[in-house]
Amino acid sequence: MQDIVKVAHLTKRFNQLTAVNDLSFTVRSGDVYGFLGQNGAGKSTSIRMLLTLITPTEGDIEFFGMSLNRHRKEILQQVGAVIEKPDVYKYLSAYDNLKLFARLSGMHPSRAVLMNQLEMVGLAGRANDPVKTFSQGMKQRLGIAIALVHNPGLIVLDEPTNGLDPQGIADIRNLILFLSREKKKTIIVSSHLLNEIEQIATRMLIIDKGCKLVEGATSELLNSTQVVLQLNTANNSQTLKILQGSSWADRLKPMRDGQLILGLNRNEIPELNRFLVGMQVEVLLLQPRNNLEDYFLQITAGKQHVDAFTN
Amino acid sequence: MWTHLQIELYKIFRRPRTYLAFAAITALIAVIQVGLFMDGKEYTEFVMADFEGSFSVDGKILNGYFICYVILQLLLVHVPLLIALIAADMISGEANMGTLRVLLTKPHSRSAIVLAKFMASVVYTLLLLIWIAVLGLFVSMWVFGTDDLFLMKSSYVVIVKESDVFWRYAGAFCFAALSMVTVAALGFFLSFFAENSIGPIVATMSVIIVATILSTMNIPIFNTIKPFLFTTHMITWKEFFDFKVNDANEAIIGSIQNPDKIIRSSLVLVAHIIAFVGAAVLVFRKKDILS
Repeated sequence: MQDIVKVAHLTKRFNQLTAVNDLSFTVRSGDVYGFLGQNGAGKSTSIRMLLTLITPTEGDIEFFGMSLNRHRKEILQQVGAVIEKPDVYKYLSAYDNLKLFARLSGMHPSRAVLMNQLEMVGLAGRANDPVKTFSQGMKQRLGIAIALVHNPGLIVLDEPTNGLDPQGIADIRNLILFLSREKKKTIIVSSHLLNEIEQIATRMLIIDKGCKLVEGATSELLNSTQVVLQLNTANNSQTLKILQGSSWADRLKPMRDGQLILGLNRNEIPELNRFLVGMQVEVLLLQPRNNLEDYFLQITAGKQHVDAFTN
Repeated sequence: MWTHLQIELYKIFRRPRTYLAFAAITALIAVIQVGLFMDGKEYTEFVMADFEGSFSVDGKILNGYFICYVILQLLLVHVPLLIALIAADMISGEANMGTLRVLLTKPHSRSAIVLAKFMASVVYTLLLLIWIAVLGLFVSMWVFGTDDLFLMKSSYVVIVKESDVFWRYAGAFCFAALSMVTVAALGFFLSFFAENSIGPIVATMSVIIVATILSTMNIPIFNTIKPFLFTTHMITWKEFFDFKVNDANEAIIGSIQNPDKIIRSSLVLVAHIIAFVGAAVLVFRKKDILS
């Protein structure tokens, strides 16, 4: 598969603060590339560097095999982006905004083309209404329509579900999947919401404090033999004491929502079950958790930091 | 560049705020015209009081040309605020709305964006001046009629022949436009340093007020910097109404007493415009967009 984005040793320092530190990653054609990290991890700074809004202190960025430094204009012609909030001109209508940004992208699309674009994001019925009357979700969808108006091969979405209600989040998720599967777009999507990325990303990168923690295919990363196990018993406090006094003590992780959490190898689960039954523990639930939240828990050592991430 | 300029003008003229300036100009000029139409006789008698007994004046002092001169004197002090409302908002307003980052992800150089935005500010400024000319000069000529232009300077009186006035107004308005474009350039430059438009608008007016005070105060320590302040040169439009006289002390039609001063002032203003816009381009090319 062709490399669409290739980032090497990207670093950004603001005076004493290193926001992004030696970050390298590759986005391939057809990827929905999840860019994960808690707030302040350096996601937005990285994305802004990809879009030339922020100048890197060090590092190289290539799009479509071209250096961003030398071929900025050619590259940006093939990239559409929504950065954080979907800000548009509030005193203009959705249609006028779309037309204006199309012209800025060097396009002169017909009304039919623009209306098709609005139809795709579900805004055709509100095309002539001023954007100031739109909900956050509608603005987000308009932002995506603007990002798509010049038919780019790569779409960059920075925190596209921020501030949206559950329906808005589902709409954006479905739109991203539609763009990936039906329109064959390569998409980079950043988020601090792990479950969102888990549902849409084919590959992902997790960053923390500006540094790369891990990069790879979502399916491979989540199918690790190491699992986080959720354990619920009739008396969790008593069970905790039993486990702390046993050889399973070093597998214990901080409790979450009153439930016991253990990190262990998948093939150790039956053995744990036998141990608990042998200790007269009444097991109500013994379930491997195989999601990004737990994956993040496994690869990061700082527990407080994980709690902040998952809350 | 042309597409960019069209888009910037489209954005300016789709905003209700833009028309506030035109409405304010209309109201101000209307107030002056109505006031002078109703009580102009008393006004001219008051102005002429110092010259009573020295000479008598035939003709109509309170004519359209005179009204326009009064309007220009009064308005050119206030117009910078109306220009700052738009020019100082060009970048800071976009940063505040969040549209600046969207704009900069489009395939255009930052320099092209800056220049298109500045050109749009210039077009707005020129339209404002044209509107002042239409209302202040042409409407005044229509309402009050035309005659020789009678001007009272601090120590002398200037009477410009009716046939010799119109081109002087053309020159004065062109010079006023240059002055106001300098103000637009200043506001535009300051708009790069804030993420809301209030700061740059207030900063623009503050710079103009301080520089005007420095330009008008006759204190030796400030006299050395006066020639370099753009505010010193903004009132040079009045030079278009001073003419040369011949040996018989008669006005030489079509002459200007001190054309070098107009050229020098124009060059100083142009230098300021280039400096402000050049600095804006340099700042913006290296600026990290964090808004």
